[in-house]
Amino acid sequence: MRFRAKIVDLACLNHFSRVVNTMARLAKMCTLRLAVDKLYFILSDKVDNGGVSVWCELCQGNFFDEFQMEGVAAEHNEIYLELVPENLSRALKTAQNAKTVKIKLTNKHCPCLTVSVELPSLSSTSRIVTHDIPVGVIPRRLWRDFREPSVPDFDVSIYLPVLKTMKSVVERMKNLSNCIVIEANLSGEMNLKIETDLVSVTTHFKDLGNPPWVSDDESPSSAQVKDLENMAEARIDIKKLLQLLAGQQVNPTKALCNIVSRRIVHFILLHEDVSLQYFIPALA
Amino acid sequence: LTECKLHLSSFLLVFGRAIHAIARISDEFCFDPVEKGLALRSVNSSRSACAYVFFSSMFFQHYCWAAVSESCQKEKPLPLPCKLIIKSVLPVFRCINMLERNVEKCNIYTNSNDHHITFQLICKHGVVKTHNLTFQECDPLQAVFAKHMCPNVLKLQSRLLADIMIHFPMSQEEVTLAVTPMKVCFRSYADEDTADYSKAMHTEIQLNPDEFDYFQVGVDSEVTFCLKELRGLLAFSEATSSPVSIHFDVSGKPIAFSIDDMVLEASFILATLSVIGDEAAPEQPPRVSQHQESKPHWNGNSHNMELAAPRSPLAKQETKIIPKMSNGDCTGIEGATIIETNDCATRELRSTHSDYHKVRKLQSHLPYFSKQGNKAFQLFHSLFFGAISFKEKDAINDTLHSLATASDTEEDSVPTQRSQV
Repeated sequence: MRFRAKIVDLACLNHFSRVVNTMARLAKMCTLRLAVDKLYFILSDKVDNGGVSVWCELCQGNFFDEFQMEGVAAEHNEIYLELVPENLSRALKTAQNAKTVKIKLTNKHCPCLTVSVELPSLSSTSRIVTHDIPVGVIPRRLWRDFREPSVPDFDVSIYLPVLKTMKSVVERMKNLSNCIVIEANLSGEMNLKIETDLVSVTTHFKDLGNPPWVSDDESPSSAQVKDLENMAEARIDIKKLLQLLAGQQVNPTKALCNIVSRRIVHFILLHEDVSLQYFIPALA
Repeated sequence: LTECKLHLSSFLLVFGRAIHAIARISDEFCFDPVEKGLALRSVNSSRSACAYVFFSSMFFQHYCWAAVSESCQKEKPLPLPCKLIIKSVLPVFRCINMLERNVEKCNIYTNSNDHHITFQLICKHGVVKTHNLTFQECDPLQAVFAKHMCPNVLKLQSRLLADIMIHFPMSQEEVTLAVTPMKVCFRSYADEDTADYSKAMHTEIQLNPDEFDYFQVGVDSEVTFCLKELRGLLAFSEATSSPVSIHFDVSGKPIAFSIDDMVLEASFILATLSVIGDEAAPEQPPRVSQHQESKPHWNGNSHNMELAAPRSPLAKQETKIIPKMSNGDCTGIEGATIIETNDCATRELRSTHSDYHKVRKLQSHLPYFSKQGNKAFQLFHSLFFGAISFKEKDAINDTLHSLATASDTEEDSVPTQRSQV
């Protein structure tokens, strides 16, 4: 098992740091899956993370100048590592004016992801900052826990409002209630609601637009007999929603959510070279 | 009677940062005006860190110092007593940003007759904030540390030091400095006893000797010291924009971070961790040090910091030795030997176990400032806050932070290194 990668471009480094920062806000521990052409940050829906799951996919070519990976075996040419994303985020944070950043899998007192940052210095030789981040190697027999989740059979799919606006709305609601109801319909309308004994607050969004999904078993031109006004809704933990919204430092190219009434809300955020899927289960 | 005035806001910032830096060491410090200037001294509860900042009279717009003899005291007139103020002074300088923007002048004056020290901040728009604090007398301690005898000396710009330390998280307790003639390395230190030793992230910074203004390595060494205690000095040195000098030796011997400027000097002396292999330090009988003898310096077996009073207090004539704890318990037990002689008090903290971590957790046997042994009441009265509370001297642990404290986004809270008295 070998892994070495290098970033030389500051914009790429910045971008990669932002992805890692987002993960750090969403999960205490997560899985980093390394494949030949892609990297994935994965959190699978376990009870201890509240049933939330995260799937973040990056094209390595868009970030790394060099990327060499040799998996556990020839026919399973991938590496699955368990790590604390906050550590990686911290290691990259002070590298913002680095000449190069190298990341490699090493074995110090335990398997580590070693981040080696070459910084400009006042002397002829660069300053080198090395961070050893302990990781756990996930054995192959557990890999099936980390498969890409499928898009659920949703009732409504809708584009999200501007994330900054959504975040400030949800942030204020957080002080009033622990859960929030997201409802939306196929007419581009979405409501965020909280209800307590004392107060109900609803924020209405209109004209958001609904993404055109093409279903496998229907031809796209067949008429959809669906009530466009019908709201699909799910009640979810407000903190989990806020974790997602607070972690977004840059506006995604596309942001949408799929609601399965009273079951699950599936968020998809697409940037140029990163896609993030976030599943929040509905509360009883 | 001492009176000093600080006028320029940039000087006020430096002064405020000095107070904050000292606050990282201990909850109490000694405010010691002398003829040439004002000294601030502090020692932490486990005696593993000692801070000293000296502002020469030229630092101040106006500095006036006069010795007063107290007729109510003993027959011999006292020199101006050193004063001890707890961290009740910290709220005065709490919000550094506010200081810079709003405060035009700061007057500090003392009157030893009624044991008061007054901090008067003259702010914009005609606002005057007056803080009246009562002090107790104390005997200041300073570490006896021969900088010139250190084989290793590094001098670097404060900006560089800050750029190095920024790579360590604020939660990082200890850091190791490792030097050879070819390179300098700062790395995070993790106690092998802690539960998450293997899970902890490890950070290391390597620098070329070229980056230093002055680089002297007489002996390869690795010294581990407490970074948290140093953070205040980092902010302080950036405010003074003076270079920082680091004097150190091999592991176990103290490390000193100092600033030497035209109008001020500062030195923070920290104990360093001894390498574990060294632990067979034989018990030594307590030494009596006379004033005439040269101060006992470091030997391979005593991992301690010597603290001495810089001037002769009104001391007892006899020599008093307080025995250590029983020799039977060797591991992790420290004893404090207090030796008083005619003219000076030397306190040596000896460790039978070289790990200074243990020092921190151990009770100190005697409060270090109590000389005459008379109880004094601590009265804190601040006109600004309008609150009064009485505290017994020994109950200093119940500090008065229940009074209004400004929110301070800049500094971490004062570390709670208290001896469990």
